[in-house]
Amino acid sequence: MDEPAVVLHVLELHAYYGESHILHGMDFRVHEGEVVALLGRNGAGKTTTLKSIVGLVSKRRGSIALRNNELIGRKSFEIARLGVAYCPEERGIFASLTVKENLTLPPVTNPGGLSAAAVFELFPNLAERQHSQGTKLSGGEQQMLAIGRMLVSGARLLLIDEPTEGLAPVIVAQILTILQRLRDQGYTIVLVEQNLRFLSSLADRSYIVEGGRVVDVFDAARFAANIPKVESYLGI
Amino acid sequence: MIYGQLLIGLINGSFYALLSLGLSIILGLLNIINFTHGALYMMGAFAAWLLLAHAGIGYWPALVLAPLIVGLFGMVLERLLLSRVYRLEHLYGLLLTLGLATVIEGLFLNEFSAIGRPYPIPRALTGVWQLGFMTLPIYRAWVIAASVTVCAATWLVIERTKLGAYLRAGTENPALVGVFGINVPRMVTITFGFGAALAGLAGVLAAPIYQVTPLMGGNIITVVFAVVVIGGMGSIAGSILTGFIVGLIEGLTKSFYPEASSLAVFILMAVVLLIRPTGLFGRATTLTSNAGASSHAPPVLSGPAKAYLMPALVMTTFLLVAPAMLYPAFLMKALCFSLFALSLNLLLGFVGLGSFGHAMFLGTAGYITGYTAKAWGWPPEAAIAAGIGMSMLLGAVVGFLSIRRQKIYFAMITLALGELVYFFFLQIPFSGGEDGLSPVPRGRLLGVLNLENDITLYYLILALFLAGFFLVFRAVHSPFGQALKAIRENEPRAISLGYDTDRIKLVAFILSAGVAGLAGALKVFVFHIVSLPDVFHSTSGDVILMVLAGGVGTIFGPVVGAFLIVGMQQYLAPLGTWVMVVEGAVFALCVLSFRQGLVGQMAKILGRPL
Repeated sequence: MDEPAVVLHVLELHAYYGESHILHGMDFRVHEGEVVALLGRNGAGKTTTLKSIVGLVSKRRGSIALRNNELIGRKSFEIARLGVAYCPEERGIFASLTVKENLTLPPVTNPGGLSAAAVFELFPNLAERQHSQGTKLSGGEQQMLAIGRMLVSGARLLLIDEPTEGLAPVIVAQILTILQRLRDQGYTIVLVEQNLRFLSSLADRSYIVEGGRVVDVFDAARFAANIPKVESYLGI
Repeated sequence: MIYGQLLIGLINGSFYALLSLGLSIILGLLNIINFTHGALYMMGAFAAWLLLAHAGIGYWPALVLAPLIVGLFGMVLERLLLSRVYRLEHLYGLLLTLGLATVIEGLFLNEFSAIGRPYPIPRALTGVWQLGFMTLPIYRAWVIAASVTVCAATWLVIERTKLGAYLRAGTENPALVGVFGINVPRMVTITFGFGAALAGLAGVLAAPIYQVTPLMGGNIITVVFAVVVIGGMGSIAGSILTGFIVGLIEGLTKSFYPEASSLAVFILMAVVLLIRPTGLFGRATTLTSNAGASSHAPPVLSGPAKAYLMPALVMTTFLLVAPAMLYPAFLMKALCFSLFALSLNLLLGFVGLGSFGHAMFLGTAGYITGYTAKAWGWPPEAAIAAGIGMSMLLGAVVGFLSIRRQKIYFAMITLALGELVYFFFLQIPFSGGEDGLSPVPRGRLLGVLNLENDITLYYLILALFLAGFFLVFRAVHSPFGQALKAIRENEPRAISLGYDTDRIKLVAFILSAGVAGLAGALKVFVFHIVSLPDVFHSTSGDVILMVLAGGVGTIFGPVVGAFLIVGMQQYLAPLGTWVMVVEGAVFALCVLSFRQGLVGQMAKILGRPL
């Protein structure tokens, strides 16, 4: 069987916030339909990596190739239109928009975007609250709204920053189910995550990030066998 | 009678609502207080007038064409100029639009002079309706109906449509909206264009009611700023409603106490600020720090106090021998404005508070000094002390009201309170109204030194200038000054370290008002007169320009800037109203590409604090 095509190839990526140099040559690749995780301690550069990909960090060099498109030099909205969706750590639910307005905010840029009805089918409890103010939802519901919102534009590459942070175990389990289902539907997912148990049943590959670069990589099989080593990387 | 005044109030309210609506939308998305809004309103009126006078195009087509023209002009303005300052601290947006507004109004003044031009009421709307209890001119009813309709439609679009959802989301977090695939820069341009078009529409509606003149925008914009402060930020419906409410209150005041009608808005604003600092419909804004990504004023080199000794000696020597080379009147004026600029820089440069109404302290001290010296025959030292005392008192009140809000809100509040003071002196009999207070005798200092001699007066002013300079310098280079800088850099952190930042800011504000008062008191003796321009907002703008041109946050910048701008005004005086255009252009240029100012630039080149 041929290896699936590379969707995202990050090469020698450097990124800066003002004067501070955050990423020091990130290297990783993501294949079609894979779930890839970025793991590391706080401040290692995981979030910055995602933000660099979607153009939220403007000072960056190296290469971020999305299929045949170089993303460095492009503006956020152009990157989004190439089929990339991003969910920030703080989820980015807008207080001045209703749940439904939040959900349908991203314009459909690629074929295959879900309708609001389809997302509500995926997350039934959002349907009941579709007319409430976005930020009146619980943390778990907000996370579901944020994930649902990534699906309406038709993007096939999803970048998700810490989807389980601060959520109750039962909600984490629900989110896991949803992400597994998305994987089965062929979405390509890049996750920043700290929850190893969550990752072990989801990620095809996990990159360990330290000091703004990738220092180790585990595929799904090695990951399960090397939990202690991964934990030592994370300082747990 | 009362119905008539209420009607006038409603008419004014219609314009306030249209203008404050556009202003709020722009403020929300661009974080810019658009000072050009008055100029755009004026341009709308002129577009209608020009279309009629030169192309024979009447009211109804103009109602569409003029807003379109103004909207397009706004979009060009945004793309070419405003978009360059979004990354800077928001105060720069205000400064830039202030400069641009000055340029636009100056150009129109040159072309059309200040004469009002009548615009005919369209035939279909002439005549009146007899309502029994009052006579309603049809055109006025039309203006109210048009304004209500446009405001309501705008509200619906913003609150209930997808387009509005983009706008609301963009107001909250523009970067994230971009990540979702929306072209935010284009949305910003269109939004600005729409706000500008609303102003243009208001201008066309106003043309048949008021005279079309280049000054019509400048007159209304400060009221609209006050409306925005009263309504509070972040509520579209709030800004519309407040516009009408303020118009009605103005009308009511006119029927019960006509003298106070122009003051009513500003008094209302002060009361609202006391009771609800966030405005009637506003949401609380959180304290933000200047640290981190939002780059603010360019970094200013600072150093130990003795590093400034050499340049201070050079300055003093120059000023001591200057009367041998330059006209004493020019030097005295420049020194007064140097003091004035130093006082503003204390706030703008060292606390990060941009006061846009600073002329109120200059003018108040001027009037008190002038009146006590002229009417009561007080000796100069007593008259000066009285002037400074009054400006500090005013500083305490204004400071108390304004330091509750930060940055651009602070700027708007000080501007509006400055207007309040201006209208006060316009109305109060002792000020001499439009004529001003003159001639003010210079008298004898301590009964000995005859100040009618220019050279004697010059050296008195020089001595007091040096005292004021030293006072500001000491304030900045003291633990108090360190606290001020801490507030400028990161107010929440300063609070967490245990500083009572409101009190520190208030002390700085009163000190600044006192130094500005000294400048105003001295200026009266130089010119034998105090008059309305001394309290007018254009003088507040001038002094900001001086600080900006010299170098915000530098020690010598305000002095250099004052000499520069006073010199420029003197030199360009034969050009008449072109001075305004040049000044506005210099202003805009300083904001766009010379933010360090002359002294800031020199300090950078020399690698030493100045």
